[in-house]
Amino acid sequence: HIGEDASNLLQHVKFQSSNFENILTWDSGPGSTSDTVYSVEYKTYGESKWLAKEGCQHVTRKSCNLTTETGNLNEFYYARVTAMSARGQTATMISHRFGLMQDTTIKPPDVTCIPKVRSVQMIIHPTSTPIHAEDGHQLTLEDIFQDLLYRLELRDNHTYKLHLEGKQREYEFVGLTPDTEFLGNIMIIAPYYSKESAPYMCRVKTLPDPTWT
Amino acid sequence: LADGVAVLPAPQNLSVHSANMKHLLTWSPVVVPGEIIYYSVEYQGEYEILYLSHLWIPSHWCSSTKGPQCDITDDITATVQYNLRVRATLGSQTSAWSTLEHPFNRNSTILTPPKIKVTKDGFHLVIELEDLGPQFEFYVVYWRNEPGAKEHVQVVKSGGIPVHLETMEPGARYCMKAQTFVKAIERHSAFSQAECIEVQGDAL
Amino acid sequence: GQEFRFGHCRVQGVELQKLRKAFWTVKDTVQAQDHNTSVRLLRKEILQNVSDAESCYFIRSLLKFYLKTVFKNYYNKTTELQILRSFSTLTNNFIVIISKLQPSEENEMFSIIESAHRQFLHFQGAFKQLDTDAALTKAIGEMDILLTWMEKYYQ
Repeated sequence: HIGEDASNLLQHVKFQSSNFENILTWDSGPGSTSDTVYSVEYKTYGESKWLAKEGCQHVTRKSCNLTTETGNLNEFYYARVTAMSARGQTATMISHRFGLMQDTTIKPPDVTCIPKVRSVQMIIHPTSTPIHAEDGHQLTLEDIFQDLLYRLELRDNHTYKLHLEGKQREYEFVGLTPDTEFLGNIMIIAPYYSKESAPYMCRVKTLPDPTWT
Repeated sequence: LADGVAVLPAPQNLSVHSANMKHLLTWSPVVVPGEIIYYSVEYQGEYEILYLSHLWIPSHWCSSTKGPQCDITDDITATVQYNLRVRATLGSQTSAWSTLEHPFNRNSTILTPPKIKVTKDGFHLVIELEDLGPQFEFYVVYWRNEPGAKEHVQVVKSGGIPVHLETMEPGARYCMKAQTFVKAIERHSAFSQAECIEVQGDAL
Repeated sequence: GQEFRFGHCRVQGVELQKLRKAFWTVKDTVQAQDHNTSVRLLRKEILQNVSDAESCYFIRSLLKFYLKTVFKNYYNKTTELQILRSFSTLTNNFIVIISKLQPSEENEMFSIIESAHRQFLHFQGAFKQLDTDAALTKAIGEMDILLTWMEKYYQ
């Protein structure tokens, strides 16, 4: 894949994917200059034809959004970048084989933390993705990862932790002490693909108990 | 001696001790006074035995180790028969290979009842189970310690983390016990001893 | 615990995540050796044409081929330790799967068996059209496609 001269103009052609937003990125090589331009092509693994990506032809930036072109969960893809220097030198480098399910990472969930007197409620909002089902409707992470689950942790200041875990999107930590600060951590986990998002964090304080005054 | 040249003896008495899916290969040390002996361990799974009998794979942790033992847990990655062999090395001298007499299968591992720690925080009934690694799930059975009380079962996916079981009622006494389950070998341990805990009687 | 359900065949005691992790450690190395990006052996049409009832027969033929032909010959091409260890995990767990696939052979299953075998022959035919080394490398590199297909039957 990498010819000796190619790495002079071009390096590290790879897909960076998060929640199925697929961005092709690359680095310039030691021989490239600021006026080196790049053109991107892509194809489905098993097809012979390379397709030019509109909007990423003869560009100077070093990234290209291929989300729309690489949106089939059952396919695998390749992309390649051709660099052209002002002195007429060209080089082409191909990416690794890219598969959405295995290569995308998961972003932290969007959560609303609601403190009450003796509990904290957590509502996890669905995460939509750019992937569409055959009938056209937009898929969420839950639709795509069958084994997706949420792991919630609530910690008070004495490093005591409460744990909840499950597939539903509403949780409540109960039996808490009023007027106390807690730190919540909420992660998305897709066990089969060994994927784990960074945690969404919320700091909340349970309300004072009016009956105590 | 072989043709007058000292030959390093092969390690003897190979055996595997396996408990809770941790597998330890041990052997009798080769002793040469004043010298340090190194050992190499290799393994074959059932596939290699059937299709590539010449192929032996160096152990993950013991391609050159001093102690007369080797943790082969990371080498045994399927529930099939494994051949294991060891040889000794002293400088340029290497012994013959010694092979485990009977192939090892991880489904023979000893599963011990898990250690459990029962705590409470306010009205929270919390259990923490022994962390035995990712291959273990736990079935926790808990009940309120009174006549006719119903048993509740909860599956806990991993040990080492305090898990909230229930919000208790003042003045009640709760008991619980746990057993492990290992998916890879489809076996479970015996139940642990039951442990109980009580919540003070006066409500907040 | 989780198990495979290929039609009426049940397989327990194999953790698919472990197989995916084992392949994952060698995926880029192996796939980088496959320079023919225009050919795919486990084509979508083959996998989509395998019905639930046929899945047990199909996976049995496919895994046997992988064990007896693909891995057996590819092993000679590699001395890289990480690849050897990952393959050992994959092949030995495939042996567990095959040993537990007990498809029924009654007469009324004949058409299903025949259809499953046809899908396997499509795969094998594409394999034989390539130069041996290229075919071995491509088949090994397509293990993520195979594991992804197997995942549909893992519950």
